[in-house]
Amino acid sequence: MPVVDVDTDELRQLTGHDEKSDEELKEDLFALGLEYEGETEDGLLQFEFGPDRLDRLSVEGVARSLRYQYGDDRGVYVPQLNSPDWTIDVEESVPEQRPYVTGAVVRGVNMDEETLDSLIQLQEKLHATMGRKRVKGAIGIHDLVMLKGEDLGEGGGNSITYRGVDPDGERFVPLDSDAELTPGEVLEQHPTGEKYADVVADYERYPAIYDELGLFSFPPVINGRRTEVDEDSTDLFVELTGTDQWTIDKMCNIICYALSARGGTVEEVEVETPEGTLVRPDFDVDTKEVGHDRIETLLGAELEFEEVVDLFERSGLDATTNLGDEMSYDVEIPPYRVDVLHPVDLVDDVGRAYGFNTLEPRYPDVGTVGGRHDRSDLERAVRERLVGLGFEDMLNFHMTDEAMNYDGMSVAPESESDADTVLGATPPVRIVEPYSEDYTMLRTWALPSLMTVLENNTHRAYPQDLSEVGFVAHEDTEENTGVAESHRVAGVLARYDATYEDAKAKLQALCGDFGVELETPATEHPSFIDGRTAAVVVDGENVGVVGEILPEVLVGHDLELPVVAFEFELSALE
Amino acid sequence: MRLPESQVAVLEAASTDEQTVGELADETGLKPETVTRAAFDLRDDGLVAIEERTETTTTLTEEGEQYIEAGLPEVRLYRAAVDAGGDADAVPMGQVIGASELAGPEVDIALSNFARKGYGRIDSGELVVDADADPDADDEAAALAALADGEAVDDEQVLEELDRRGLVNRTESTVRSISLTDDGVTAMMEGVEVAETVDRLTPELLTSGEWRDVEFTEYNVEADAPEERGGKVHVLRQTAERVKDTLVGMGFQEMEGPHADSEFWINDCLFMPQDHPARTHWDQFALDVPPMEEIPEDLLDRVESAHREGVGDDGDGYHSPWTENVAREIDLRGHTTSLSMRYLSGFAEGELEPPQRYFSVEKVYRNDTLDATHLLEFFQIEGWVMAEDLSVRDLMGTFEEFYRQFGITDIQFKPHYNPYTEPSFELFGRHPTTGELIEIGNSGMFRPEVLEPLGVDCDVMAWGLALERLAMLVTGAEDIRDLHGTLADLDFLRNAEVIR
Repeated sequence: MPVVDVDTDELRQLTGHDEKSDEELKEDLFALGLEYEGETEDGLLQFEFGPDRLDRLSVEGVARSLRYQYGDDRGVYVPQLNSPDWTIDVEESVPEQRPYVTGAVVRGVNMDEETLDSLIQLQEKLHATMGRKRVKGAIGIHDLVMLKGEDLGEGGGNSITYRGVDPDGERFVPLDSDAELTPGEVLEQHPTGEKYADVVADYERYPAIYDELGLFSFPPVINGRRTEVDEDSTDLFVELTGTDQWTIDKMCNIICYALSARGGTVEEVEVETPEGTLVRPDFDVDTKEVGHDRIETLLGAELEFEEVVDLFERSGLDATTNLGDEMSYDVEIPPYRVDVLHPVDLVDDVGRAYGFNTLEPRYPDVGTVGGRHDRSDLERAVRERLVGLGFEDMLNFHMTDEAMNYDGMSVAPESESDADTVLGATPPVRIVEPYSEDYTMLRTWALPSLMTVLENNTHRAYPQDLSEVGFVAHEDTEENTGVAESHRVAGVLARYDATYEDAKAKLQALCGDFGVELETPATEHPSFIDGRTAAVVVDGENVGVVGEILPEVLVGHDLELPVVAFEFELSALE
Repeated sequence: MRLPESQVAVLEAASTDEQTVGELADETGLKPETVTRAAFDLRDDGLVAIEERTETTTTLTEEGEQYIEAGLPEVRLYRAAVDAGGDADAVPMGQVIGASELAGPEVDIALSNFARKGYGRIDSGELVVDADADPDADDEAAALAALADGEAVDDEQVLEELDRRGLVNRTESTVRSISLTDDGVTAMMEGVEVAETVDRLTPELLTSGEWRDVEFTEYNVEADAPEERGGKVHVLRQTAERVKDTLVGMGFQEMEGPHADSEFWINDCLFMPQDHPARTHWDQFALDVPPMEEIPEDLLDRVESAHREGVGDDGDGYHSPWTENVAREIDLRGHTTSLSMRYLSGFAEGELEPPQRYFSVEKVYRNDTLDATHLLEFFQIEGWVMAEDLSVRDLMGTFEEFYRQFGITDIQFKPHYNPYTEPSFELFGRHPTTGELIEIGNSGMFRPEVLEPLGVDCDVMAWGLALERLAMLVTGAEDIRDLHGTLADLDFLRNAEVIR
């Protein structure tokens, strides 16, 4: 979840509420859904929130939300936009993976250390969230004074160019460096370049933004040092590139609103693409219609029209009522909101402003009949019977590795084509790019888990009679999911005097209790001693194995006493 | 007649004359308490009679012992006064006391008893001795000496005086005297044999009737017995059963479905954009199996449309890439909401008409860091209610009722964000023992972008919670790895308290 770092002095100043203590601010922010998480090394307070209101990723955005909450502001606010002086020319050469660009000019920003820190934070947090680690959208902010645009003639203003360049086709001095590097060299030699090299890994041409003096930005990786913004910068050029126009436009709006709160005046920029001209930023107000009835049913409360309009306005929205058969509201949504996909999101805003916690809970007055599914009932009955037979019920992970599932049991995995496979030797369902080498596949049988529990408990008192009713899986392309899933009953008896008979005795008792017929014809299994191993045949169907575990398997599990074991399909007891 | 050994001994030692327990103990060589118990058993059989009387025993206190050697203080004062010539004339008290070598509290004791016993008078600081008095015949001194020699003293007045002076302790005790009854005499004449004592009651004793004649050796019933374990249902399963029972009782039907499922059912139906951070390999486990072939085509189209265009007249979609290839890839489910999607769509059990309540308590898989509170696989409690016109108040009422069953009260609903629900709430509750406010679940009303493609045209509220979190609250377990998986400590499981 996103975290925003807030300087509370800044917050008091931006909200105009000097009287609020840090504790009061924390409470007010909790009510907005921002939860206090701790402090940074620099003494900023950190707040975590759900990744919907990304317009709150800066102190300016948090202050705006608070002013609405306090009732200081109401309704939709859209900053004045000045007409464009700058143009971004988009050339045909831009990388096909990153065709979109947008931008804005902001003049007269009251820049100081705090504003600059806040701007950098907002940029980074937007990169991490909406920007999907700069893949979907990346922001570059430049000191306008340091840009020399191409003069477009009388009344035409200045232009810069977005184009694609060869990896080593151009040199520039990137931020935090003194050396002139090509974009290709930046990716190899500059720490920021190394970090974001993956984003452009499959680009043939690299994105680059030029002015009259040359390349000044290498999105989405790094800006040039020439146009670096510092505490003396007042006029800024904001550019964003990405894989989706809507996303970078919204990111741009959030940046512009934050700079506007710092005294900046936003000026439009024209984006000349081969398809046509865009005028940005796009501060158009979106409108959605919300039914009064839907608000009332979802909140379970009766509300007056005026009250609803008031709640909308206190959420930074504007609403006009539509009188008719079905009462509704046309709700205007400001351009910095990125989370309103459906009228229900506006109902949520009303609920938050109303205070969800003030609603009285009620138990829904609908009658339904409860029940468990058949396997759930069967599992419980088998588990309880096993416990009655003296087994300790175990619960093991479904993920394992090949060493534990096959090698440790002297079993070799078979390919899927083998029909009648040895229990446990079925082909594995492997995890793609496993995070841990201990969890690389799903277990094909349950006995390896029980043997591992025995191995991990050799310091505990014997006898250790363990059982598990649990999930196993193997690859099966016949299945829609490619995975055959089943549930097994498994048991081990680790006793100084354990013999085959002990295991069979338990098995007999269990099968008798469930009214099924057990036969145990001799068989062979690589985990068990020959001559002391039988197939578990229930009602004529081969469903598992029972026997004495092979000494080499015991020794491999650090066990110094005999273990007898069984495993078979749970469904056999149905 | 066969009787236990001790009873036979007492019976043989007893006569028609009364004998005390002490006397019989001396005679039989048994402990007095054994004789007493045997006597009571014999009396119950009518073979002996027991007379009880109260006896007072008198013993010397430490002070009394001292006076045996040194003499009573008043006697010593009298002798010193006589030596100083006090039998003829009054003598100064200080001089006599000095000569008597009385010290401290003895002086006061001597002076008060001197006067009481008429050994003389005390007048203006001088002692006048009564020459006729005879301290050698002092009753109290004689009684002390007799008690010291173990002789009985009958003079009750003297004994009371000594008790008052704190020179003796008097205690009352019950003395039992035992004598043979007529039946006892008859039994003796007919002959009494010793019955054998046995350690264990055996089938042979019972079937032969010998149990009537045997005496059972006594056990130390307070000693620790060997450890008894038996089996136990895993504590997490017990918690799961509690949850299932509770939900079934609240009218919920249980769902089941695949652990390995397509991203379509796990994420796309839930309106999770395909470039959502939680949909990377770092958060979920992708499986190396072929993509899912069978997904209902019309449902697939409606879900894609919801992602791209949104639903309803004023709906917007995501500005994220969406491909069918991603939807068909197979993962281990990161939540059991995939089951809810299968049921709500009608794919699992056919079309559902409201009202419905469904739940599952099943395993989910997340690529998280393993630590004391996080596992790569854990159980998720998932539940939903489908009905016309549900409100957040119904959601709150349902969850308050559920958590109340586990002693968790004071439920708070913190507005929250999920891609698949709106409104959404994180649930907080009061810990039953520590009183802390802790996060206990995530809930909300499914979005129209989730429900419309599934063909559901009423409201559905849903919630999810990790079973392990509930189990840790209920059992007080501090490290989840003790509970779940092959690292499980058998002793922890064997000693875990039963969930009730």
